Amino acid sequence: MPNLGLVFFPAFDWMISPTHPERQERLLYTRDQLLEEGIFDLPQIREYRPRMASIKDLERVHIGIPSIAKLITPAHLVSAGGCLTAADAVMRGEVKCAFALVRPPGHHAMRVVYGIRGFCTINIEAVMVEYLRSKYGVKKIAIVDTDVHHGDGSQDIFYHDPDVLYISFHQDGRTLYPGTGFPNEAGSPAALGMNLNLPLLPGTGDEGIHRLFDGLIRPVLDEFNPEIIINSAGQDNHFSDPLASMNVTAQGYASLAAKLKADIAVLEGGYSVEAALPYVNTGIVLAMAGMDYSQVIEPDQTALHLQSTECNQRVDQLIDQVGQLWTDREILRKEAMSKCGRQWQRNKSIYYDEEGISENQRETAHYCENCSGYLTIETTAANTRFGDQNAYIVVFNRDTCSICRENAVALALKAKKTGKWDNILIQDKTKSIVANI
Amino acid sequence: MLLGIDVGGTFTDAVLIDGDVICSMAKSETTPDILGGILLSLDRLFSAEKLDKEIIDAEKMRITRVVISSTIVTNALVENKIDQVFLAVMAGPGMSTKGQFPVEPYLATGYIDHRGKVITAEAIDYDLVKKMATGKKVAAVSGKFSVRNQINEKALRGDLKKCNFLKIFSGSELSGELNFIRRTNSAYFSAAVYTKYADFIRQIKKSLNEREINAPVHILKADGGTLPLEASLEQPVEAVFTGPAASVLGIEALKPPSVNTISLDVGGTTTDIAFWEKGQPLMSPKGAVLAGFNTAVRAFHMRSLGLGGDSVIIRTKEGFVVGPERAGRAMALGGRAPTLSDAFITLGLVSFGEGRLAREAMKLYARGEETEKQVAHAVVEAAVKKIKRTIDEMVYQWGIQPVYTVNDIIAGNLFKPELLIGVGGAAPGLVKALGDYMHLPVEIPVGAMVANAIGAALAKPTLTATLRADTTENYYIIPEAGIKAKLPHYFNKQVAQELLTAWLQAAANKWQIIAPVAEIVAYEEFATIHDYISSGKIIYLKMQLQPGVLSHVIGREVAF
Repeated sequence: MPNLGLVFFPAFDWMISPTHPERQERLLYTRDQLLEEGIFDLPQIREYRPRMASIKDLERVHIGIPSIAKLITPAHLVSAGGCLTAADAVMRGEVKCAFALVRPPGHHAMRVVYGIRGFCTINIEAVMVEYLRSKYGVKKIAIVDTDVHHGDGSQDIFYHDPDVLYISFHQDGRTLYPGTGFPNEAGSPAALGMNLNLPLLPGTGDEGIHRLFDGLIRPVLDEFNPEIIINSAGQDNHFSDPLASMNVTAQGYASLAAKLKADIAVLEGGYSVEAALPYVNTGIVLAMAGMDYSQVIEPDQTALHLQSTECNQRVDQLIDQVGQLWTDREILRKEAMSKCGRQWQRNKSIYYDEEGISENQRETAHYCENCSGYLTIETTAANTRFGDQNAYIVVFNRDTCSICRENAVALALKAKKTGKWDNILIQDKTKSIVANI
Repeated sequence: MLLGIDVGGTFTDAVLIDGDVICSMAKSETTPDILGGILLSLDRLFSAEKLDKEIIDAEKMRITRVVISSTIVTNALVENKIDQVFLAVMAGPGMSTKGQFPVEPYLATGYIDHRGKVITAEAIDYDLVKKMATGKKVAAVSGKFSVRNQINEKALRGDLKKCNFLKIFSGSELSGELNFIRRTNSAYFSAAVYTKYADFIRQIKKSLNEREINAPVHILKADGGTLPLEASLEQPVEAVFTGPAASVLGIEALKPPSVNTISLDVGGTTTDIAFWEKGQPLMSPKGAVLAGFNTAVRAFHMRSLGLGGDSVIIRTKEGFVVGPERAGRAMALGGRAPTLSDAFITLGLVSFGEGRLAREAMKLYARGEETEKQVAHAVVEAAVKKIKRTIDEMVYQWGIQPVYTVNDIIAGNLFKPELLIGVGGAAPGLVKALGDYMHLPVEIPVGAMVANAIGAALAKPTLTATLRADTTENYYIIPEAGIKAKLPHYFNKQVAQELLTAWLQAAANKWQIIAPVAEIVAYEEFATIHDYISSGKIIYLKMQLQPGVLSHVIGREVAF
């Protein structure tokens, strides 16, 4: 059996705009490097052609307003489909692990979608997670997000899910988009401690991220013991990335991939298209294929600096603080649940940087003794491609019981009667549909 | 008139073609020295029906081109009758090259990056090179990304001049495509077969001269195109696997399929399988594999499966296994062990030899109450399933070719066969059974017995070249030509096309090839951005003189 299934899709005909970081050229030099090295000929690697995801696959995760189909391009179906192809390859036992080296990326896309934010419209990892559950019945999943930006979309989608452990290390949100990703964002009461944010100081390099991995991420993963580990493999912690300020090298990323041993890796960001991506991707591919990556070294390291001592101090502080949170999670969860009673609510204002959309959202988790309950979301957005939009949304979980379903539908009908909402939507993950009532 | 000679493993065939008419055909056994067989075939070709020397001489005068398809390179590799090669590579940083080449290379200093920038200049340790090169007559050099900038590879070649090699091959001149390992192996194998190939060419010329045939001589390449003998000396590795290529061209000349087709050339030992779309044989998306190593040799999307009429049959606990070893002649023809052909004869799918002996062959494997026919059915089923597995793998390989755009994905790349075409001695039996199994119609074209020689005779000359331009760095490169030059003041796709066409035409003229129109095989254009500002363009263009056949012919059957 080959070690690695590789789904390579550079989307040479997709861009946000001609000079945008997400432009046609982004994976050109990576393609050239992989081809020139002869990566696609290796017996340790089996190549896969991405398939197209269906709207149903997307609607297991997203609620698009006015509809998800109106907000995406075919490229989104291919990049999400590439992840499903990778998942199939691993779950069918054709390969030991897989890497969906695809674009457009996804980890800033949240549950409710009005447009593009942080270069993302569809959260391709989340689409894959829901696919793994509905097709293969996988329950416990860990996502390790190694992109330099906080994956606020993934956090949003799995915030109430006690079976998905989301770990993200990233450049501190006070210095970088999207500005979130602090340890106190740890999950809603029922899933407290399952969302671990590890904001690093700008300038952190290989030493710091490996210290963090060895000291916290590895032991947490070992204890959680997930059925599947997913790596949101962003590459913008690289020292040459134009959008961020970190100091990680191709060797740092490759050796991290070798340690993490993700079942499925999915490309996220990374915009140093010439100086970093060809080498980081070659390194990760070789590491996941179980091959020697020790000679994968960027020819130009002039922008590389040693990390300052403060970087490791921050790392050690996070190991303590977040490690404690992880250890105490059961107690904290009980406390939080008893404190909030049958409902927990959060208000969010979400900005879509790419399109200038401002969304205000109130999300309510409804708890139940017999099931995991359901969500209701009240959302309004200004300046979307379709003008001002709003919706009242009910989200059923997989195990939502019939009483909760009745209650939720009653709430939806009540909301409809107010005449306040243009859209009343019900998302049913078991049926993979979003219905407008 | 065109003369085609196909030197196969068993037979050497020759055909003479005038327009769409096959004037004469001859067959003789292939001799160990190859030339004996060629001469014998030629003598038979020109003496078969016409005894008048004047007519023969007039006919020879009318020959405008001779094409030879030969197993010389393939055999040299199979039998390991190759020269020791001094291999020098500049791998730079990246994947470890350990085990990727047939020999441990000398690792020279030097690195070019993906944009063609020199990161490290070429340098060698001459004392070590001298030591490693001792006793080696030929050399191959190759550098990572040398197709983007050949300066290091040329320098390395220059440095090795002092070692007085008979010939040095450069990876980037053999292929302008990305894949350092494949280019390196192409250069290595070219060097490894060089002296043997050069000797073969000398003998071909001599023997044709002796038979007073003075037309230009071409050699058939694995991609189905021809090259003049002299030109082929610069890339001997391209003359590998010409047998299967000749067979594909033979089918194209005799009966080009109009629908999606799988063609099967079923010989005694092997079956060569090729795919067709819109009347054209599909080219392999990657290069050929030689002696287990990936090369940049362009070839058809083909597989050679160790299964043919003479294949040995074994019965195991799991059922029958057919091939890959050859049992020798069918028992129906007096052979000693049961073969696949005996099963076909028993089932009445083909008729030759003695049916009684074929049935007895099947009887040898019968268990309990089994009849000969039941055994034969099981044997044929095993053979058919084995072929089907190979076809499925080929469909898969075709389907996963890299796709770079959303449009490609939407267009899809699934190969769905609608027809099977069989050529070769055992085709009627095997391909018909396969057609039943796959629920596909089967065609066995007339004239299939010498399809390979026909294919060789009619093959078009081909040339391929690539151009890559980087307007930010202000240069273009045509690696196959060894050209790297400043861009003209105005540059776009059309200018790129003109530059490349001009070189292809010049090369064609140099080798006296009547050049058909050069066509575009691949084109890419990217804007390069620095600090959010468009800084230039990268343009990649690949063109070729289109392969195929010069004309179609009407087949006829002849008993040899």
